Amino acid sequence: MEEHYTVRLEPLGREITVVAGTPLKDILFSYGVEFPCGGKGLCGGCRVKVLAGEIPVDEEHRQALQHVGLADPWRLACRSRVWADVTLEVGQFETIILADSTPFHFRPQQGAGVAFDLGTTTLVAQLVDLRTGEVLAAETGVNPQARYGGDIISRIEQAVQQGNAHEMTRLIREKFREMVEHLLRNAGEREVRKILVAGNTVMHHLFCGLDLTPMAAYPFETPYGGACRIEAEKLGLPLPATEVEVLPTLGSFVGGDILAGIVATGMHREKKRQVLVDLGTNGEIAVSDGERILCASTAAGPAFEGTNIFMGMRATTGAIASVRNNGEGLDLHIIGNEKARGICGSGLIDAVAVFLEKGAIDIGGRITLPEERLYLTPEVWLTQKDIRELQLAKSAIATGLQILMEELGLRPEEIDTVYIAGAFGSFIDLDNTRKIGLLPFPEEKILKMGNTSLLGTKVLLFEDEETIAQVLQRTTHVALEKHPLFQDLFAGNMIFV
Amino acid sequence: MEDILERLTIAVKRGKADKNSPYPPDMKGQEGADELTAEALKMGFSPDEVLQKALVKGMHLIGEEFSAGRAFVPEMLMAAKAMKAAMKHIEPFFRSGSVKQKGTVILGTVQGDLHDIGKNLLGMMIEGAGWKVVDLGADTPFEKFKAALEEHPGAVVGMSALLTTTMVNMKGITEKIKAMSPDTVVMVGGAPLSQEFCDQIGADFYSPDPQGATEFLDTLVS
Repeated sequence: MEEHYTVRLEPLGREITVVAGTPLKDILFSYGVEFPCGGKGLCGGCRVKVLAGEIPVDEEHRQALQHVGLADPWRLACRSRVWADVTLEVGQFETIILADSTPFHFRPQQGAGVAFDLGTTTLVAQLVDLRTGEVLAAETGVNPQARYGGDIISRIEQAVQQGNAHEMTRLIREKFREMVEHLLRNAGEREVRKILVAGNTVMHHLFCGLDLTPMAAYPFETPYGGACRIEAEKLGLPLPATEVEVLPTLGSFVGGDILAGIVATGMHREKKRQVLVDLGTNGEIAVSDGERILCASTAAGPAFEGTNIFMGMRATTGAIASVRNNGEGLDLHIIGNEKARGICGSGLIDAVAVFLEKGAIDIGGRITLPEERLYLTPEVWLTQKDIRELQLAKSAIATGLQILMEELGLRPEEIDTVYIAGAFGSFIDLDNTRKIGLLPFPEEKILKMGNTSLLGTKVLLFEDEETIAQVLQRTTHVALEKHPLFQDLFAGNMIFV
Repeated sequence: MEDILERLTIAVKRGKADKNSPYPPDMKGQEGADELTAEALKMGFSPDEVLQKALVKGMHLIGEEFSAGRAFVPEMLMAAKAMKAAMKHIEPFFRSGSVKQKGTVILGTVQGDLHDIGKNLLGMMIEGAGWKVVDLGADTPFEKFKAALEEHPGAVVGMSALLTTTMVNMKGITEKIKAMSPDTVVMVGGAPLSQEFCDQIGADFYSPDPQGATEFLDTLVS
């Protein structure tokens, strides 16, 4: 007879009975816990605290814990199995809903359309009435490929080296079908004529079932990056006359999500000098001089998302999301007004800006205090390595911007508007992004635009092929690493000035 | 007399290349590694003394600071620039044979990868530790390592990768190198690597930072 044990998950208060030896990963995944490094025991993102009971640790697990700087009572969920009754504390997971409702211009048409933002982490879809422009319904979800790693490089590795490409294609198409079906219930009599999907190059390839091998190595250029059409019926949707169209990519890692972002900002038709920045693990940048648009992607690393930061976490309950210096001490904003459990990307930028001002960090990024820990609360602090991670991330973005602007002969002060895309971008303090040298623009020129990928896709529901052709024709991808001074610029931008 | 070697050590560690260089700001107008090396040689210190007692020492100090997280990439690059400025004066003595290098290290970022800042930092560190470095650049296939090994028999090979999708290419290259010359020492590094991966692919050494690699290299010649 098989042994059964009870796993209690805090703070959810949920109890699950499982067979002896069940991997914790399988249990937690269904509760939305993410495994940012793909369950390889490298990042510590899936750490759980054993409150009662026991989770045994083998040598490999012990080393993995040591590698991420953890000890008892912590465990890595990706390395744990259930061999006894146990009570665990797990980070709560919340999806930040990015259902955008920004007004936009459109030409009324018949029927309805679906705009689908296919993110590496988050999925958002809207059903739009093409006559009125009204959003009839919205759906959000977590990308089910997340179990194969949080970032695109992990997904490529899983597709190309671990042979999981077909499974990832199946997972995302299944989730896509489910979300669109939910939306269709709100369509009423309207015929759904158009479904547009926007995602980065890796999401594009996995959704369309294309080979990712070219994206696994230099020169990271794919021959399959064009628009891709799939009959809706083939994806299991009851829409015999409709095609699902996946937007083309702009070059290398810069995908249809940035193409949609460019459309959302109007960069492709305005004669203005504009910048679009999407701050994420893969930071994406587009710069326009009013004629040409240059775009690039830059490996910022996961610091902005709170990963690889010792006490880092996503922007969920218990995360320090902003830090202010009130002269005497620190004012903290903690999401959910709870006790602080960690710090998310926006809090990290604020904290570093504040500690720079106080002189606790020098311009080279070195902690000047003898203890080498910067406390925000007695339980939450920054380490020297955290500051280094932020320096790498902010320099990747700043260097990308610098190279693209330089290629177009633009100086930062000549830029008319800077659009910040993405969830993370909506939370950051703009003044502090300037103070740490992430974005060298005055606050009044920066506009937080939220989910530009979704907004642009929605706009494209009303446009014809010509608009996409226009963006593609104007836009050129730039490989930043090929710049002869890349290394010096990258090193120089790590300094906090 | 010894004072000049100490000043040179500090110039290298702080990244002061020459008198005109604006970095670091607090050493503005002071003599840098370039001038101090020339002076030390003129004063009669042997090139080997200058190398060991000042340059290698300065690079070692900044390497330690880097390992501890107190210094970062910009400081390392500046120190390496200072080292390069000093080496201009020492290099002629390598060629004439009056100063011996510890050996040759062939470095390359592995095929498929073009992230080479980590590899460059390592190259500067081990050059600063008295080794000859043959840098094959980024996106380096086995054939290039092979050609370099034929030109420099007995050299150590170092490979780096930044991506999990490219680090796997180290396996094939390591196997081919070992098949060609089993005694060649292969060391590997890069953000996604681990000791476990190094063991798996049959490489001889892994270090998470350049200081560890430099210390390992020293054990080969001690």
